[in-house]
Formats: sequence, C-alpha cells, structure tokens
Amino acid sequence: MSSTVFDYFTNIRNAFTSIFHGLAVTFSYLFRKPTTIQYPDRIDTPVQQMLPPLFRGILEVDVGLCIGCNLCEKTCPLGCLRTAVVRDPETNQRYITRFDVDISKCMVCGLCSENCPTGAVRHSTEFEASTANMVNLVIRYVKPGERIPVHKPVKGEESPGLPQNEPIARAHKEWDEPPPVDPDQVRGRVRWKNDGAPEEEQSS
Amino acid sequence: MTQLILEDQHGETTMVNMGPQHPSTHGVINLRLLLQGEVIAKIDPIVGFLHRSIEKLGEMTPYPGFLPYTDRVDYLSAMFGNQVYCMAVEELLGVEVPRRAEYLRVIACELNRIISHLIAVGTMAMDLGAFTPFLHAIRERETVNDFMERICGARINYSYMRIGGVPRDLEPGLDKDILKFLDRFEKFIPEFNRLITGNEIFVRRLIDLAVIPAADAISCGLSGPNLRSSGVDYDLRRDRPYSAYPEFEFRVVTGEGYRGQTGDCYARYWVRIDEMLESAKIVRQALLGLPEGDVKAKVPRKITPPKGEVYSAVESSRGEMGCYLVSDGGEQPLRVRFRTGSFTAMTVLPKIVPGLMVADLTAFFGSLDVVAPEIDR
Repeated sequence: MSSTVFDYFTNIRNAFTSIFHGLAVTFSYLFRKPTTIQYPDRIDTPVQQMLPPLFRGILEVDVGLCIGCNLCEKTCPLGCLRTAVVRDPETNQRYITRFDVDISKCMVCGLCSENCPTGAVRHSTEFEASTANMVNLVIRYVKPGERIPVHKPVKGEESPGLPQNEPIARAHKEWDEPPPVDPDQVRGRVRWKNDGAPEEEQSS
Repeated sequence: MTQLILEDQHGETTMVNMGPQHPSTHGVINLRLLLQGEVIAKIDPIVGFLHRSIEKLGEMTPYPGFLPYTDRVDYLSAMFGNQVYCMAVEELLGVEVPRRAEYLRVIACELNRIISHLIAVGTMAMDLGAFTPFLHAIRERETVNDFMERICGARINYSYMRIGGVPRDLEPGLDKDILKFLDRFEKFIPEFNRLITGNEIFVRRLIDLAVIPAADAISCGLSGPNLRSSGVDYDLRRDRPYSAYPEFEFRVVTGEGYRGQTGDCYARYWVRIDEMLESAKIVRQALLGLPEGDVKAKVPRKITPPKGEVYSAVESSRGEMGCYLVSDGGEQPLRVRFRTGSFTAMTVLPKIVPGLMVADLTAFFGSLDVVAPEIDR
C-alpha cells in the first residue's frame, strides 16, 4: 500500500489515467453501429422469421402426417402431449381422436420432435405465447368429436413435413375471448381428465 | 444463531440477514452475518432456497428424459450438465461416442465457458458499481448465444447432447462465422481490459482482498477457477482427460503472476479473463481440425443400462461438475447425484470472510462466481 508521499500521488495519477483509458473505449462506441434492435415494434422483419430454422419454439403438429405411434407422448419427460387413437373394428382403419399439446408445461427440449418418425410434431419459431388465460395454452389439434385417419407413409419417400419457418396457424391473441372451459376445472392435474375424448386404444 | 457471543468494545453485536433477496448474491441465498460495527465476525451461509429436487426427478424419469433437467442444474453453463450426464450414461452402457461428436461437444462446451465467464466478470464489475463493463460483456454473450441457437436451437437451456453423441451436425457456414467471431473476441478482451480490468480504482478494490491460501482451497474442496487462482495447478481437462481434450493444446491458467497476491479477488478475476482466451483457442483448434464421420452412436431407443455405478466429472466453468449414477438395470436410474462447484465454494466462506468489511463481502462473493441454483440443485 502507499507508504510514501510519492506513492500517494502516483496512485492518484494512475486512477485518473486508467479512468480515461476506460472512457476512451466508451467514447469509441459513439462511432460504431448500434447492436441493439428495438423489439417488438421497430424492426423490419418479425423476429420469428429471423430465427435460425433449428430454433425450438412452441410445438406445432401436422395431424395429417401423424401415424399414431404415440412415441412423442412416451418420450416427453413431462407428459405435455396427449394423444389417443381408436381403431374402427369393421374397416380396421385407425383414427386419431385426440392430439393435445400443453405449451405451459413444455420445456422445449426437442425430444418429441426428434423421435417423431414423420415430422408431424415439430418446433415452430413462434415464441410469443403470452395470453390472459392459461387454458389458451392447451392447443387441441384434433377437435373433440373429430376423427382423423392416420397417415400411411409411402416407403422410400421423404415425408413432406411442414414448410420451414411457417408461422403457426393457431394464434391465441383474442384477449377478450372468454375461456373455453372454466379455468378452475382445468388447473393442475384436472386438466388431463378424460374430457369426453373416446377411450384410448392401445395400438399394436 | 441463538447465542450471540461476539461483542464489540461497547458490548454490541448485530445480526444482519444478507439475502435471500439481495442483488449481489446472484440468486436466492441467505448469508447470515454477525457484525461488530462494520466488520464481519461470523458468517453463516444458508442455502436451499432454490432446491428443485433435480436428483429426485432423475430417479423418476427414464434415462433420455432426464437430459433436459440437467440443463437446469447450472443454467449459466447448461452444456456441462448435459455432458456430464451423457458421459455417465455412456460409460454405463459402454457406448463409444464418435470422434466428430466429441469435437462438437468440446466446441459447444468451450463456447459455453466463454458465455459463463463473461457473465462472471461482468456481474463482478457490476457488483462493485461499474455498470458499463456488464453491458459490454452481455453484448459479446449475445453473439455467442446466437451461435448456440444455431448449434442447438436454444439460447440458455440447450439440451444439446444426447446419449451417444449429439443430435445433429453443425449447419453449413457456422464454423466460418464462429472463427470470425473468435478473431473479434480476441480483440475484445484487451478492450475489455482497458475498460475495467486495468482501472486503478477497480484494482485497488480487489487486490490483497480475501486471499484464499492454497491449503485452505484444497481442504474446502474448491475446484475450477477458484482453486486455480489460489495457485493450484489442477484442471480436469488436462489431469483427468475426457472427451477430446487430450488432442488440444491449451494453458491451464493459475492465479500466479498477477498484481496483488496469489489467491486474492483480483487473481480470481484474471483467471477467468485468461480462461476465456484459452477457451477461444480450444474452439479454434477444434473447428479447424474437425474430423469427418457420424455425430451419434447407435443407441437403442429404450435405454436400460446394466447394473452398476459410475462417476463422471467434467471441468465446468464453476469447477468440477460430477454426476454419480447408480443403475439397477431398469429404465430409470436408481440414484442420481450431482457434485457442483458452487456448493463447495460456500464452505470457504466461514474460513475467509470473518474480518472482512460488509462491502468487501460483496466483492468476494462476486469473485467466487456462485450460481445459486447450482448450489441447491
């Protein structure tokens, strides 16, 4: 530490000079291009389109491509996907009767989309999911009562999949829209109660 | 803290709770201080506010499904959590990871180390009242985050690695962009040093403060930059090689030769600055010598390792991060245990802190680079 008068003044000089070194760096930024962008209103292209195609945003599902293998539901560590498949006993055709994704639970790890054999489950680049009601975050890709025949992939043919960076079709931005269900009924575990969907049949 | 034994000359002591909500504790942690005037007589770190029972969750989740949780062990260096868990399961399974995948893992991990150390030095300066360097550090961090987004699709919780390798290859053109960034980054560090590291006020604030002797550092179980800044030349990347690290040349930075004493706060700060440059060197070597081949080994979809136990450790940006895994032959681990660097850094507080001023504790705590979720898991 400073023991002599000389050291004392040297310290003061060092402090001054080093501050001006730092200020010179700061000053040089006056002549550089700014690095910030003014999200969300002062940008030319939406952020969703600027993101890399690998970006893991909200899950989106193309039910027309689903083969009903149930792998996504099995791999999800949180159980945020819920699917159901029924088989018509006469024609032996299998139908998807339920495909729900709970975004509020999803931690966008990418395990389900990686395991999906046809690319029916995938991540979009959509990330703005704020909504006034948590119920809106449960996306039902198959409406109750609807039956969608499972996809039969042609051998040796690449699955088409959804186009890259396509904005997600669903948009829950209707703030004043009344919630579809009583919110108290769907909180926590009650949410996944079998609400009218036909019983799940184990596909072989 | 039932008995207040210590007293100042007026026979008075004060008990102060620093935290759980305190800006300088970098998360939710409570430091219970016993003060004599402004001097700390005793410190009692109380941890556990951020306990999320990640280890218990590991026992309830199948092996591949636990991987996203390992991001959350240390959210500032999620890649190391991924790697240590994947290494443990791979050792149990006896899977050999392809060489290209190992290189990609090293690239991702070292970029992650740069991110984490940028936050460490930035927040340390911010704790001491200098806000500008923090913004400069964050700006560089955002650039690396953009690369991370292109590598694995996320900016913070990467979930990048898979058991047996990595899920996908680098996208074309990314290696050139990273190399371009590294050139810029190596010029940014001297600029950052001019901005704050060489600042005489900053230096005077940190040198000779809270010196951790090498013997204390070892006996407290410190690891990583905190141990190395005490002059102990120990780095898991070199001393217990894993992944592709034996193939790269890098210097293990120790806290000797900087201004002030070995093991003081300024040495801890400098070790992190220099480690960023070393990490940049490793990334450059790995990108230039990236071998061809697969990125993922063949692993069955349903992972059921044979009975046994395994411990794997990596050199995380906060010290040794270890994963102890016991398998009973089922789909879920019987026991998962994480060893993290921040938790052991808490044990050094009662040894070093008594005698410091309250304001110096902020500087010391910042220099330890503790992340609260990593303490509790």
